[in-house]
Amino acid sequence: MDYLIFSFSLMLVYIGLAQLLHVQFGLLGIPNFGVVGFWGLGLYGTGVLYVSYDVPLVPAIIVASLIVAVVSYVLASMVLQRSGQAILAATLAFAAMVATLVVTEKQLTNGVQGLGTIGFPFGDLASRNVVYFGVLLAVVVALIWVSAKLRDSRMGRMMIAIRDNEELAASLGKDTAGTKRTVFVVTCALMGLLGGLTAPLHQFLVPYHLAPSLTFAVWIALVLGGKSHNLGAMIGVFATFGLFDILIETYAPVPAEQAIMLPNFKLFCYGVLLVMIIMFRPAGMLGEDRPRHRARADAAPANDTAVKEG
Amino acid sequence: MKLEAENLTKAYHQHEVVNIDKVAFGAKGLEGLIGPNGAGKSTLMGLLTRRIAPTSGRIRLDVGSGSRELNPLKSHEVARIGLIKTNQRIQGFDSLTIRDSLRLAVTSPRSEGFMSIFAGERDPEDVEERVSRLIEAFPFTDRNGYARSGGEKKLVDILRCLIAEPRLLLMDEPTAGLPDDITRTVMDIVRQKVADGKMRVVVVEHDLPLIWEYCDYVHFLSEGSILFEGAPEEVKSNRVVAEKYMGV
Repeated sequence: MDYLIFSFSLMLVYIGLAQLLHVQFGLLGIPNFGVVGFWGLGLYGTGVLYVSYDVPLVPAIIVASLIVAVVSYVLASMVLQRSGQAILAATLAFAAMVATLVVTEKQLTNGVQGLGTIGFPFGDLASRNVVYFGVLLAVVVALIWVSAKLRDSRMGRMMIAIRDNEELAASLGKDTAGTKRTVFVVTCALMGLLGGLTAPLHQFLVPYHLAPSLTFAVWIALVLGGKSHNLGAMIGVFATFGLFDILIETYAPVPAEQAIMLPNFKLFCYGVLLVMIIMFRPAGMLGEDRPRHRARADAAPANDTAVKEG
Repeated sequence: MKLEAENLTKAYHQHEVVNIDKVAFGAKGLEGLIGPNGAGKSTLMGLLTRRIAPTSGRIRLDVGSGSRELNPLKSHEVARIGLIKTNQRIQGFDSLTIRDSLRLAVTSPRSEGFMSIFAGERDPEDVEERVSRLIEAFPFTDRNGYARSGGEKKLVDILRCLIAEPRLLLMDEPTAGLPDDITRTVMDIVRQKVADGKMRVVVVEHDLPLIWEYCDYVHFLSEGSILFEGAPEEVKSNRVVAEKYMGV
């Protein structure tokens, strides 16, 4: 039971990350391939503060997120106005740097031996992992809700305009560089926050957690679900992490000899799914959604057709 | 409202495309900028809106309360002090409907911050009204949908700039790709806005009858320099213009 709660908690973290990536890439067009770096900096930042400096968990998470904000601001100032490929390479490199530093800076992170233990908050409540799951759920629901509001807002419309044609948006007076930087910093800091919230789940932090596979898992989930759809991130994580890591690994009656092949089979399935989606449904399973509250004029087609070509 | 350039030059690999001692736009209401192909008209437009960096020279925008040096500004800052340009080549936001595109243009950047995420209503009533009024003046295939043809996209590009009501609007070949009757409707709206004192306009065009009909003042550009300026009648009867451009 505890393992299941752990799996579902981790799934919520994945959904949260994919949702933030939806804002960065789906709405604003920033190809962030360093998700694990921002998340990992939050994770290890929290861990180091908590274990080595005896900072309580909540302030540790907040400080770690702020550190991620500062770091992502510096990164944003350097690369965001360059081409998509440059951003992709730079963020990927950033994640690799975080992973490497965690191994080499032993006096802070205890290197490959691992850093621990980080306990759940809520004292000695018996079902504190369940309560913690509730906290994660609230955070992720809030993220999804705010990004739905964002998509339907004036700011969201401007972000979509920047994604479609940045130069044109700037020529209309929109501060494209400033908007991209601000949104990137806020969403990266939130990835760091999710990283900090992951620390009590893992309890014991090892550099293995910072492998790029997390970035790819989140990207695959987002592309599968629909990068520009507000619920695409969630559906994508259900279809990948939920289906394989939870359902099949926990419940499928796979004989022990074959069980060892499961992780490879999982990657194989991800690959096939990804290729099929890109070939047959490039916008993802859910496609692209449109703003909800269309204003009066949009909703009422009226007698428009009669005037056509008038 | 006056846009002034002094000693403005732009060279690509030592080849000078624009070389202007002094020119002022926006003093006369609706102005035209004409010249043969390759005269440097589009380059000049790009220089004026800071989309192209000049090789040398100064550009200043006089906004009544004082003058602003444009050289150090970024392109969105130029737009914010009131200088916007329509595009010669088709530009657009593929994911925005015609209405959204116009709403975007009319919305002030100040009200597009984080607070707008939690605003109850996305666009105020007066924005909706202005957008509807403008859209209904034109026969779009789908007024509530997306711009379909190249012509519709070009029209949306122009309407975006019109609805934003900059102090000075530069129109780069607005007739290219548009049917005659649409061009006339656009130019009538432009003339009305100029007459109401809402904005000043500079039109770059090859369609000379349109220039003669609508413009109050015409600049003639050839080989990168302003060769003649004056009222349409003067320009029409000028010998230099006739030789260099109209091929008489």
